Amino acid sequence: MSSTLVLCLGNDVLSDDAFGFHLARRLQEQEELEGKADVQFAPLAGFNLLPLLQNHERLLIVDTIVTGRALPGTIHFFPMGEETPSRLLTSSHQISLPHALALGRALGMAMPESIDVLAVEAQDVCTLSEEMTPPVEEALEPALSRVAEWIATSLSEEYHGGFEPQVN
Amino acid sequence: MKEIVIDPITRLEGHGKIHLFVKDDGNLANAYFQVPELRGFERFCVGRPVEEMCRITTRICGVCPDAHHMAAAKAADAVYGVTIPSAARKLRELMYNGFYAGDHTTHFYALGGPDFVCGPDAPKAERNILGVIAKVGLDAGKAVIAQRARGQRIIEIIGGKKVHPVTSLPGGLSKRVTKEEQQEVIEIGRQMVEFGKFTIKVLNDIVLANKAYVDLILSDMFTHKTYNMGLVDANNKVTFYDGMVRVTGPDGKERHKYEPRDYLQYVAEHVEPYSYLKYPYLKQVGWKGMVDGIESGVYKASPLSRLNVSDGMATPLAQAEYERFYETLTGDRSGRTPVHSTLATHWARVVELVFACEAVLQQAQDDEITSDKVLNPPTGIVGEGVGIVEAPRGTLTHHYKTDGNGIITEANLIVGTTNNNAAISMSIKKAAEGLIRAGQPITDGVLNRIEMAFRAYDPCFGCATHSLPGEMPLELIIHEAESGEVIQTVRRF
Repeated sequence: MSSTLVLCLGNDVLSDDAFGFHLARRLQEQEELEGKADVQFAPLAGFNLLPLLQNHERLLIVDTIVTGRALPGTIHFFPMGEETPSRLLTSSHQISLPHALALGRALGMAMPESIDVLAVEAQDVCTLSEEMTPPVEEALEPALSRVAEWIATSLSEEYHGGFEPQVN
Repeated sequence: MKEIVIDPITRLEGHGKIHLFVKDDGNLANAYFQVPELRGFERFCVGRPVEEMCRITTRICGVCPDAHHMAAAKAADAVYGVTIPSAARKLRELMYNGFYAGDHTTHFYALGGPDFVCGPDAPKAERNILGVIAKVGLDAGKAVIAQRARGQRIIEIIGGKKVHPVTSLPGGLSKRVTKEEQQEVIEIGRQMVEFGKFTIKVLNDIVLANKAYVDLILSDMFTHKTYNMGLVDANNKVTFYDGMVRVTGPDGKERHKYEPRDYLQYVAEHVEPYSYLKYPYLKQVGWKGMVDGIESGVYKASPLSRLNVSDGMATPLAQAEYERFYETLTGDRSGRTPVHSTLATHWARVVELVFACEAVLQQAQDDEITSDKVLNPPTGIVGEGVGIVEAPRGTLTHHYKTDGNGIITEANLIVGTTNNNAAISMSIKKAAEGLIRAGQPITDGVLNRIEMAFRAYDPCFGCATHSLPGEMPLELIIHEAESGEVIQTVRRF
């Protein structure tokens, strides 16, 4: 198991929410990333994420987001801290990711020390479809580069635990 | 008239709203609850093989994928006119009870529990699973996590994957269970029963021992005398996987009892002009608006409803809890007098949790589950099928029509939460009455009490929105009805 995990969330049959599914597949095809990071797609949230988060030091969450303040396809990249709005990563009947992490730590589970988030502004996450909208589909390539960059940085000695918040 | 909107801004912004219509005198005229719905389901299904649905529909709802898996599997069995082998039926039911044991645990400890364990007026930072652990101890947290893992292990053994099962096919299951796996499930069942006993103790010590909470459960604010719906077995006991649909009246008397395939004779859907939402009601009673009483076709389908329509539980510990539930709340331990207090749903969920745990242990000990014969391959096709199971949050119906090759031509779903749309709106109205007044400050505690009214139903928001206590980002806007001018905004995010 690598100490670095790229965890792609979403729903593979819910239009743009399939972004994480497609990105995970593309990452898993890249031989140069082999051994450097674990890549996993999980149509899960909250409690169900706990076992996946265990025993990794560095975590990148990939997901879709609807802020309404950016064009569809925009890549948001930010470190997840206590101030990160949990609403971005919460699902019904579950607990939010920050709560899952806090719970894991409270229960003595080894949770990641450092978490970054790559979230793509979605246009449609309510229509059942295996097709993403064009702007979100087009965000796949730049997102792949960003993730590769994140993996490289997280493995470097200069790593200090996260990117500066920025929006492309 | 003024309109107040409580709008949970979520990962999927703009979905899930509470509309409160306030008259000029400050009184509440009406309340509506809107949950987001996934679009395009029918279009998505049409043209796909019906046997795919039990794998695809697990993606419709990240909350109860197992319920969709089971309802779709049963509908596909019916489409092909095939009776599944006895071992496969037992395995599906065992897996489903394992799922219930985990799902009800999540709700009691992480979602509904904080209102009672921490208290409805506790600061929102404490009103969550961490607050529950702070109150009942770290070991309880570990026990909850372990209980969820047990449920997932059962799903993995029978369903092939931990969260989203994949093994049901028309005619049964694609894999059998070994004797070693049976032994593992038996041990899991034993641990689950112990967890059930532990949960009864938590309920007793922290919730029922606090008179204020019991008074809150029984308060008029959270009471609706509606019809109830749920599946029952041959002895009219609560069942989750298979049975007949029983409907009882506000008086507790049986009104209908029917086979799932006949559901359209009994259930119709009303559409309000302001909303895309459907409001199912009892066809033979009729839609009279969002009101309770024997003349109104509004019904509830929830853990509380399942207890109300049944004559008891099929396992001993759960039966004892069933009797204590009714004895405490109605004075009649037989259960013939229904409980109409919405907040009692949390307690009903604990009764069901105990039942699910006992059922796992009981069913795991049946040696037939290791039989090789778990699939009866279909040999013909009927072309239409209905599958009904009890999802944790209500009766779940899948209905498919196909062509001669099993390709879907038409699909209809009534999901657990949808059954309760009218009742949830009624509960919100009652909770908001007296709490919301134009011009008055709207505190976090007020918002939480309104949330409590629908949280008891454990509503399922299709698009992964959320109802976490203390977490749900809310926006409440009071408008002047005539001008549309915003006169007050309260945000909680």
